[in-house]
Amino acid sequence: MALTLDIVTPERRVLSVTCDEVRAPGVLGGFGIRRGHTSFMSALEPGRLSYLEAGQEHAFAVGGGFLQVADDKVMVLADTAEAAADIDLDRAQRALADAREKLKKLTVDDRTHAEEEARVRRAVARIAVAAK
Amino acid sequence: MPSLRDIRTRITSVKSTRQITKAMKMVAAAKLRRAQDAVLKTRPYAILLDKALGRVAARAAAEESATLHPLLAARQARLAEVVVITSDRGLAGGFNSNIIRRVQRFITESGDTWERIELSTIGRKAKDFLRARKLAVRKDWVGVHQGLTYAKAEGIAQELVKRYLAGEVDSVFLCYNEFKSAIAQVQVVVQLLPIQPPAVEAEAAIDFIYEPSREALLAELLPRHVAMQVWRALLESAASEHGARMSAMESATKNAEEMIAALTLQYNRARQAYVTKELMEIVGGAEALK
Repeated sequence: MALTLDIVTPERRVLSVTCDEVRAPGVLGGFGIRRGHTSFMSALEPGRLSYLEAGQEHAFAVGGGFLQVADDKVMVLADTAEAAADIDLDRAQRALADAREKLKKLTVDDRTHAEEEARVRRAVARIAVAAK
Repeated sequence: MPSLRDIRTRITSVKSTRQITKAMKMVAAAKLRRAQDAVLKTRPYAILLDKALGRVAARAAAEESATLHPLLAARQARLAEVVVITSDRGLAGGFNSNIIRRVQRFITESGDTWERIELSTIGRKAKDFLRARKLAVRKDWVGVHQGLTYAKAEGIAQELVKRYLAGEVDSVFLCYNEFKSAIAQVQVVVQLLPIQPPAVEAEAAIDFIYEPSREALLAELLPRHVAMQVWRALLESAASEHGARMSAMESATKNAEEMIAALTLQYNRARQAYVTKELMEIVGGAEALK
């Protein structure tokens, strides 16, 4: 029990635990954090964030944000965060279909293109986490 | 002199008014608790974001002040936009009119600084009030308060940032009720854009490794900071609204009670007078028969 992990979103504090290892989806690729990690801050992609506690892995779907490590404290500032068990797979799949549909009608220059693309990526991340 | 029945009808009507205001007060009190709770829940994220942003922005500013991120760089003051936040519903005392007054003061005070000040609104009352005063509204966000989520605040923030980056506006302000307590709300005008980075603390000395790079992180952090400001303003405004409504309904209930007491007194006097008059007539009639 060396690391403390906090996941916060703009709406609430999602999680506050101690654990052995954190795995996160960084923008430059996934990475893991264990005790004694150097002070570090990374932007996160929408994807699967998990932590290991007593050999058990607990997974979350995060919708982008930041992760910061200092003094064995891991702080995740996520735009959204859902525990794997809380994800409604049906809804996620519908959201994905809906976002893909909208994205098809848009070109890269459209104002909402980036938004819809982000929705697609978030939905994909949620489905991937929930399906495991 | 109103008749007995008139007074009785009025008492009944005031009583039902009292019932409504009392119920509204209770509802507002319950909603206020929830709204306050929502404000508190944003704290951990807000504090962490501020710290991270302060640290990243301070280092970036120290090293290359010439190439500041566009969201941080102040521009020549030409066109300002004020986003006015009110509630959708009335019956909240001075909650909404105070905000409109604050906006008008802002316009008179800083009218010289800006070539033009545009107004946009969140909440139906803001739009109605400004229209009534013949002030143009650039954009009205509808239905924000109903089922308020962070995603909505983010959407508004994104649009404002886009406009700012496109050069359509040189500065953006938020005008809203800041929640002090259930009976006190303060109307504030806060600069949203360009961003004024939060002050850094001594802790900033830690040397972080930034991934992908400090500039890239800054570009990710800044829009979230804006979204967070909008989010907080909306939550503060919601809490203030319920606080204001609660105290407005509290005094309305008290007024109704006073009125009921006064009317009841009047009713009893009138009835007494009527009874006395009847008696006199009966006695007078009996006397005449003798």
